[in-house]
Parts: sequence; structure tokens; C-alpha cells
Amino acid sequence: MQQKIKVLVIDDEVDFCYFVERNLMQTKLFDVIIATNGQDGIELAKSEVPDVILLDLFMPDIPGEDVADALKENTGTADIPVLFVTALATSHDVVDDAENKIGNNYILPKPVRTKKLIETIMKILNKP
Amino acid sequence: MNLTPGRLPSYEFLLPVLRTRTTREIHQRGIMTKQMNRKKTIFLVRLMVIITTTYFILFSPSTGKGWEIYGYIFIAAYLLTNLVVAYIPEKYFHDDKIFYGFVLCDSILLPAGIYISGYVGSDLYLMFFFIISLTTMSSRYGYLMINTIFFSIIYGWLLYQKGVLTGPMAGSYLIQIPFIIVIAIFYGYLITTRLRDKDLRINEARERYEQIVQATDVLMCIVDHDGKFLFANQKLVKFYGYEDERSLSGLNISRIYHGDEPEAEKSLSYVKSVYQNNKMVQYESYDKDHGVWFANTLSPIRDPSTKNVFAVCIISKDITDRIEKEKKLNDTVALLIKTRDQLIQKDKMAALGRLASGIAHEIRNPLEVIYMGVDYLENNLPDDNSHLRESIEKIFNAAERADKIIKNILSFARQSDCKITQIPLCPLLDNVLTLAEQIIQKNGVGIKYEYHDKLLEVAGDYNMLQQVFLNLVNNAVDAMKDSNEKRLTVRACKKTVTEVGYKTGYRRADYFGMGEEMIVVEISDTGKGIPADVLPKIFEPFFTTKPATVGTGLGLSIAHMIMERLSGTIDVESRENQGTTFFIKLQPKMKATEIKEV
Repeated sequence: MQQKIKVLVIDDEVDFCYFVERNLMQTKLFDVIIATNGQDGIELAKSEVPDVILLDLFMPDIPGEDVADALKENTGTADIPVLFVTALATSHDVVDDAENKIGNNYILPKPVRTKKLIETIMKILNKP
Repeated sequence: MNLTPGRLPSYEFLLPVLRTRTTREIHQRGIMTKQMNRKKTIFLVRLMVIITTTYFILFSPSTGKGWEIYGYIFIAAYLLTNLVVAYIPEKYFHDDKIFYGFVLCDSILLPAGIYISGYVGSDLYLMFFFIISLTTMSSRYGYLMINTIFFSIIYGWLLYQKGVLTGPMAGSYLIQIPFIIVIAIFYGYLITTRLRDKDLRINEARERYEQIVQATDVLMCIVDHDGKFLFANQKLVKFYGYEDERSLSGLNISRIYHGDEPEAEKSLSYVKSVYQNNKMVQYESYDKDHGVWFANTLSPIRDPSTKNVFAVCIISKDITDRIEKEKKLNDTVALLIKTRDQLIQKDKMAALGRLASGIAHEIRNPLEVIYMGVDYLENNLPDDNSHLRESIEKIFNAAERADKIIKNILSFARQSDCKITQIPLCPLLDNVLTLAEQIIQKNGVGIKYEYHDKLLEVAGDYNMLQQVFLNLVNNAVDAMKDSNEKRLTVRACKKTVTEVGYKTGYRRADYFGMGEEMIVVEISDTGKGIPADVLPKIFEPFFTTKPATVGTGLGLSIAHMIMERLSGTIDVESRENQGTTFFIKLQPKMKATEIKEV
């Protein structure tokens, strides 16, 4: 059996996390870990070392960008690709970029359907 | 040394001189004035001479030789000459030759009268002082002496004839002649010296005023009631390219306006109004030939005694610099106001953008939950439950609609990110029609292109214009869904603004000034048309006639807003069941007043 992709979701929108977990797990391709604030997210990333991190930009404790920076600074997590899944309006403008890239990270605007989310994750990880 | 008006040099301008000069004008028109009325004086003095002579002739001791008849003839002849004086117009008496002609005539008639009356050698010779007084009315000392010597000789001869020069009283008779001559010399000297002094003073003053008038930087002239030049200063003469003042004299001021008929008429009407109202008038005029603006002041020159206007002084000051500065200032003020308005608008838009972004963020998060929830439910539905599947589909559609509205609100609010460049219009329109190709073909709509010029360019933001045109094309296709004939016409042409209308005309707020060019794009459909009561509302936000699932009601209001941002307009004409045409008027070039977006 193929190795499951470990996904860390860091988002303060609990219901979003809940459904992402459900939907991704259902595909049997993913393992999903959830953090509902930035601090927990960084800790979990360090301890679990996921394959990909889905990160919100607006969070009450640490903004998503700072979380991403913190992860990049840590050698253990520096190579983990980060995908911002955000409702920030401006993300719509960036999404036309074929690579979905924003700096060293990736971006996907909300609202997004599960299918598109999985496709994007696969693209980032270079998996079919 | 003379003051006769007819012999004045050409540049008298100061008041006393002007008075003399213009008196000539009055005399030429036969107007009598109290001042300097020589005719009346001559007439009255002669009448006195005639009456006195007549008295002595009538009551002289009769010689009995039939001399009476010569006396009557003489009286009649003298009266006749005075009748001639009464009928000759005043102005001729200001001609020295005619004036001294009359005096000379009197110099002969008076001794003749004395001779006929038989009072030669009596005190009647004192009557010669009348003639001397009359002669001094003009200032010609020489003529006075000629006259005096003339009648002295005649009188001397008469005395000799009478034989009184040989009698014992010869000395007392002989003294009469030198007495007359001495009086004449003294009297003449007194008057002419005084006049010479006066003349010198006047000349000095005239020269001073002349210098002022010629040194001044303004164009100055005096015209009569027909607008004919009586005087013009060198500045004016040179400005209009004449050689000297004389070549202007008698010309009408309308002549200097060459081909500019309205200006010429205006100047004449102002001259007339000064005459009629006896009041100063000021107006500004533009000399097309020289490209110069003038501030003109027309002042009445009044007759000192009657206070009637007999000439108009026109002073024209070059104010081109001032006008140009004012114009520049006005332009700057207009630019500042426009810039301020644009900045306020930009600020408002930025605030709206921030607000919309915030709202979008807050709504998209729950929408995301709905999307994900719908996905989860869809994946876990029992296979046979089509109702549930349909319900889930509806939930998703509703959520998607909400997202679409947010997208539109964001684009509505994000007008501040506008980058105006020169855009080739036809490729843009072609691109829009390519983007809409799918729905155009699906609905079986035929397209007709009418580009007057393939190379038309507009000043605008590419994305914004694309959004506007795409929206209009989509609307047009939608409107033709139930039509038999489905034809979409896209026209593009360049037009010149010829009439005042919405945002076109002379006002500062107008996007298209009179005579300027604009690019007009027309998008016409053969659809159901827009009812008249709906037409005024179509540009309002959230107004839509489409089913709620299809339209958000923001398309046209965004289009309207975009056009405002691009200093253009969008208008509509529609007939029910015949079709609708949208007119998009765009700037052909970026205006200098446009704020450059950074």
C-alpha cells in the first residue's frame, strides 16, 4: 500500500478543519493533523514533520505569514511546502499564476472545493 | 503766432488745444457757440458804424448839390454788406483772408461815409477805433497796421480835399492821423503780445501733453460720432502698421479691425453708446490679426459750454499677458479641482476596497465550510437518493452565487487599481467577442462588425474595458434568447463633439469638450429591449431583471463606474421588442489632467 500523505491543517476556522479532515481522510490518500492556531501549528509541524502544510493567513495569535517564516527558519520544517488556503481577497489575483506560488509558498483562494484542493496538493508534491 | 483753429498742427491733445481743434469740428458742422463768435461781433460792430454814419449823413448840413442821393445809396450799400455778413456761415470768419477782407472793406466804407456826411475833420474820425478794435479780434499785427495805414491815407486825402490842412487849424487836424496810428500800434502790440504769451504757454503745455500721449504705452485715439479718427497717437499708428497719423485721419475705426466684422460693429456701437449716454464705457476686445487682448476705455469729450459729447477718446491697453495668466490660472484651478476630486474619489474607492475585502474575507470563510460540507455530504450519500443529491446541488449553487456576488463587489470596489494606457480598440473588441464566443455560438447569435477605422485607439484600462464590453455582450446575448432574429452589432468610430449633452459641452466637468474627438463604441442587439420604466434604473447597483440565479445586478453599475473612472460615458437606447443599443464614449488620448496612476 502507498505511503499516505501527511497533511497539517493550521486554521482557526474549526469547521473548515473538520471538513478538510473528513474529505481528505475519505480518499484514503491522506493523513490529516489539525492545529487551530499558529503556535500549535508550528509545534505540530516540528513534531510530526508533515508532507504539506495547509495554512490560513488570518489567525488570532500568529499571522499565517509569520508561521510560514518560522517554519522556514527551522531546519526540520524548512523544506515542507506550505499552501496558503485563504479567504483574503487578494489571493484571487495571485491564483492566475500557474504555479499558485507566492514567494516560496503556494496559495489557493477560498472558497475551494475538495477536488481542487487535492489537485493542488498533488501538484505541489509532484504526484499524479 | 496764431491761434486760428484751421492752422493748428496735428498733435494738439491737451485740453485748450483740443478745445480749439474740436471747435473747428463744431464750426464745420455749422453749430453756433457762444465762444469766439466772430460773425456776431463783426455784424454788431458794423451795425453800430452804419447807424452812426447814417445818423450823420441824414442830419448833415445839406450842400444843395444833390449829395443826399449818394448818402442814401451809401447807407443802402453798407447795409447790404452787413446783410452779406449775416448770411455768410460763421466758419468763414475764421479764415483770415475773408475776415480781413471785411475789415478792409470797412476801412474804405467808413472814410467814404464820413466824406459823404460832410463831417470830415470832425470828431467822427474816432469811428476808426471801431475798425482797429475789430481788427484786433484776430491776432495779425501786420494786417492791423496795413488796415490802419490804408484808412489813414484815405482820411488824410479827405482832409486835404476839404482844405483843412492848409488853414490855421491845420495842426489840430493833422494830429488826428498819427494819433490813430499810435493808438493802433499800441493797441495791436498789447493784444498780440498777450496772445503770443498765451500761445507760448499753450504750446508748452501742448508739447508736454503731446509727449505724455506719445510716450504712453497705450493705444490712444479720438473719434467722432461716426467712429472716424480725429486723432491717434504714434503707438496706435505704428501698431496698425500705418505710416503716420495723417494716413489714419478720416478713416473709420472699424477699418482697423480688417476682417473682423463683429469686433468692428462692437466698437462702433460702443462709440455710439458713449455719444448717446454721455458716459464712459469699458470693454475688452480681441484683435485676431495681432493675437492681442485689449482693455478699452471710451470716454466722452464734452463741449465745455453745452456739455454735449462731440468726440470720444478711446484708450486701449494691451492686456494679453494678464488674460493669458488668468487663463493659465483658471486651467490650474480646474486641474487642481479635478485632481482633488479624483483624489477624493480614489480615497473613497480605496476605503470601499478595504471594506469589500474585509466583507469578502468574512463571507468566504463560511462559504468554504459550506463547499467542504457539501463535498463531504455528496461523497457520503446513499447511491439511490437522487433528492438528496439534488438538494446538495442546490446548496452548492447558492453558495457559488454568493461567491460570485463577492467577486463582483470586489471588482466594483477595486477601481482604484486602474492603469490608463493607449489601447488599440479593435483588437480589444475582437478579444471580448472571442471570450464570449461560447455563449454567442450556443445561442445562435450572428455578429456584425462595423469598425470605421481598424486603427482606432482609446485611453483606458485594458482589463476594465474588457469587463465593460464583455458584460454588455453577455447582456445582449441574454436579451436575444427568445428573439427570432439574433444579431449582435459591434460598431466603433471616431466622432467630434458638436452638441452639448451628458458630459459633453463647455463645462469644466464635461469629459468631452466642444469640438474635441471621442471614440464611440456601440453594442446593439435585436433582443426584447428594455421597458421605458426600467431604463433609468439599469445602472443602479443590484438592479437586475435576470433570474436571481443568473445575475447579481452589478454588471452595468460596474460598467458605469468604470466609464466614470476612464472619463468616458455609457448611454443606452432601447425599444421594446426591437432591441437595445449601448453607446460607450471613450477618450481617444490620455489627457494631461489625468492623474497618472502609480
